[in-house]
Order: sequence, then C-alpha cells, then structure tokens
Amino acid sequence: MGPLIVNEIISENTNLFLAFIIGIGFGFVLESNGFSSSRRLAGMFYGYDTTVLKVFFTAAIVGAIGLLFLSLFNWIDLSSIYINPTYLWSTLGGGVIMGAGFIMGGYCPGTSFCAASIGKIDALAFIGGMFIGILIFTEGYPLWEGFYNAKFMGSPVISDMIGASRGFLTFLVILAALGMFWVGEWAEKKFAREDYKLNQK
Amino acid sequence: MKARLILATTLIPLGLIIAAVPENTTKPYKLTADQLLEEVKSGTQFLQPDEVAEMVISKDPTLQLIDVRAADEFEKFSLPGAINIPLVDILSPEWEETINQDVKMNVFYSNGTNDANQAWMITRQLGYQNNYVLQGGVNYWAETIMNPEVPPTTSPNEEMAKYDLRKGAGMALGGAAETTQPVATAAGGGAKPPIQKKEKKKKVAGGC
Repeated sequence: MGPLIVNEIISENTNLFLAFIIGIGFGFVLESNGFSSSRRLAGMFYGYDTTVLKVFFTAAIVGAIGLLFLSLFNWIDLSSIYINPTYLWSTLGGGVIMGAGFIMGGYCPGTSFCAASIGKIDALAFIGGMFIGILIFTEGYPLWEGFYNAKFMGSPVISDMIGASRGFLTFLVILAALGMFWVGEWAEKKFAREDYKLNQK
Repeated sequence: MKARLILATTLIPLGLIIAAVPENTTKPYKLTADQLLEEVKSGTQFLQPDEVAEMVISKDPTLQLIDVRAADEFEKFSLPGAINIPLVDILSPEWEETINQDVKMNVFYSNGTNDANQAWMITRQLGYQNNYVLQGGVNYWAETIMNPEVPPTTSPNEEMAKYDLRKGAGMALGGAAETTQPVATAAGGGAKPPIQKKEKKKKVAGGC
C-alpha cells in the first residue's frame, strides 16, 4: 500500500528519478497548454483567457478523485500523504505577493522556467526577480520571522472543518469547478480582446 | 464545449460514487510488536540536542517539548517552553489530545533517555505519531548545549561550527526558561546548519 516512498517500497533515489520524470511531464503539459505565454496567464486576471483556471482545476479534481479511489481500493494510505502545514498569515501574505507578481509579470514560478526554456527574455527577467525576492526574504528573515511563523494551524483539511466526508467535498468541488469553467468561457467571450486570439500559436 | 461535456459526464458520476461510498478508514492503528521492534532498531525517534536547540531558538511553533519527569523535578529545571506530563500520567485522558495529534512535533525528554523513550514506546504502540525523544535527555543537553566542550584547535571546521552553534545556543537559552533573541541571532557566526526536522511524510515542492 502506498505512498511508495513513505513505506520504503522505493528508495529515495528512485523517488528523485520519478520526480524528474513527472517534472518533465509537468513542464510538457504546461508548455503544450500555452502556459509559456505571459498573455495567456495574465488573461486569467483580465478574463479574456481562462485556460489557467481550466487546466489547474481539471488537474485538481482528477487528482482528488484519483486519490480517493486509490484509497477506496486500499492502494494508498491517505493519512501518510504529506499535507503542507498551514501558517495562516504567511499563507495569505504569500498568496497576495504571488498573485500580484502573477498579474504584473505574467508568469508564476513554474511557467517562468517553462517560458525561459523556449527562450523568452521576459521570463528570464521574471526569474531574476524571483531570485532577488529569495535574497530579500532570506537576508531579511529576522524581520519577518514572526509573521512567517504566526498562526500555525497544523494541516487542517476543509472536509474536517465543515464535518463533511472527503468524498462529498470532492463532489462539491467538481460541481464548483464545472460551474467555474462555464463562467470562465462566458468571460472569455465577454472580455475578448481584438488583438488576442484564444489558442493562438 | 464538447470537452466540457465529456469532462462533466465522466467526473460527475465518479464524484457521486466517491461521495456516496463511506471513507476508507482501515489503517493499522496499533503497531504490531514486529513493527515496533523495527522502529526501535532504526532509532528514528531520537532527536539530537542540537536539532532541538535550533528549533527552540528559532521559536519553531511546531515544536512541543514534553517533560516526562516528576513535577518537582520539572519545577527545578525545565527546557524552555516545555510542558510537564509525568511518565505515570502519560495515559491520562487529560493529555490524550496533546500526545495524539497531527499538528505539532512532540519531543519527550527526561533526565536520561530511558523514561522519555518509554513514553515514546507507549504512545507509539498506540499508533500515535509525531512523538520524538530528546537523545540523552536533560543531562546530555546540559553537557552539550549549556556547557559545550571546546574542541581542540586542530579540529575540522565542522567541529568548530558545531561548538559555535552550541555555545550560541547555550548563551541564548541561558539556563533560564526565557530565551533572549538578540544573542541567538548574533552567535553562531553564520555557521548554523539548517534545522533538520525529521519528517516521516515527504515534503513535495508543488505549485505551478
């Protein structure tokens, strides 16, 4: 029963190798969905292109259903899955910074590397900015240490907080996602831009 | 349009199924004697004083020190931020929420390693997670963190760095229950090794 690495079914090195393969797959999917275009990513904010929402929500709900079915068949132990611990304030702060960078730069960290790999200069500038951010964060760590560690909540999951089963919550998320896809495609028509064609090469 | 229809017709029924079936809660709650022996042999429950000192100094909110010695010993001396759960009370329902949880990293300590390790074995046998043992207990802590031995000048750099760290930690923790932050950041001379948390669950770097 999985997960593989926790139960020492595969070694640390095999795990890294699999991560490498999965990473390539992730990059491939990002690129083939046009995520190396900053206009496409920024379009999520302005509403003229909601591909980001569709791709990531599809991935999330497929992943959620997959995990729950694997758990149902006893192939994976969900309690051994690592859930990022929540530090409420730094999560919110990080979300705001990331979101602002996303809109202004037209990339998020992963897609900037994707775009840099096909030779986009703006992506290189974005990556440079990212490293400057990392430098500021690490060198100034004592300044925001309190904020960074504030409101530690462990690893809460929404289904426990509202007292629903994981399956039921997943079902709700699926409905919400499909609803959002519909709204997204409506927005694409509503906020369409003359100089931007969906799925352009 | 068509893609969304295909997606909807696949995912909605699957979602309905998963919403309807009861959650799979079958998991090995208690460890078998063999499994426990394996864990004892591998000794993964032990944390070195340096690791714990780092966490104490950096005020890591995930750390919970638990003193399993008797209350009077706890009164006399305790590590910063520790709570007292004497070994005899380890099964008391009052403490169950503290010991059986998935939020913090509990570190048991006693004078030596023994009592703390017993506390760990009891809780581990019950299937509780996130409980650890401070290697060597208070005695070894006093030896390494409070009064670190100066390594010979011919020692390799790592030894000196370790000593610097311990000296800094000892100064910061100062034997008193209160930590003084400025000393902690000034000491160590940039030689602080990163905090090594023992995590059973592997961290994945995610996001887009």
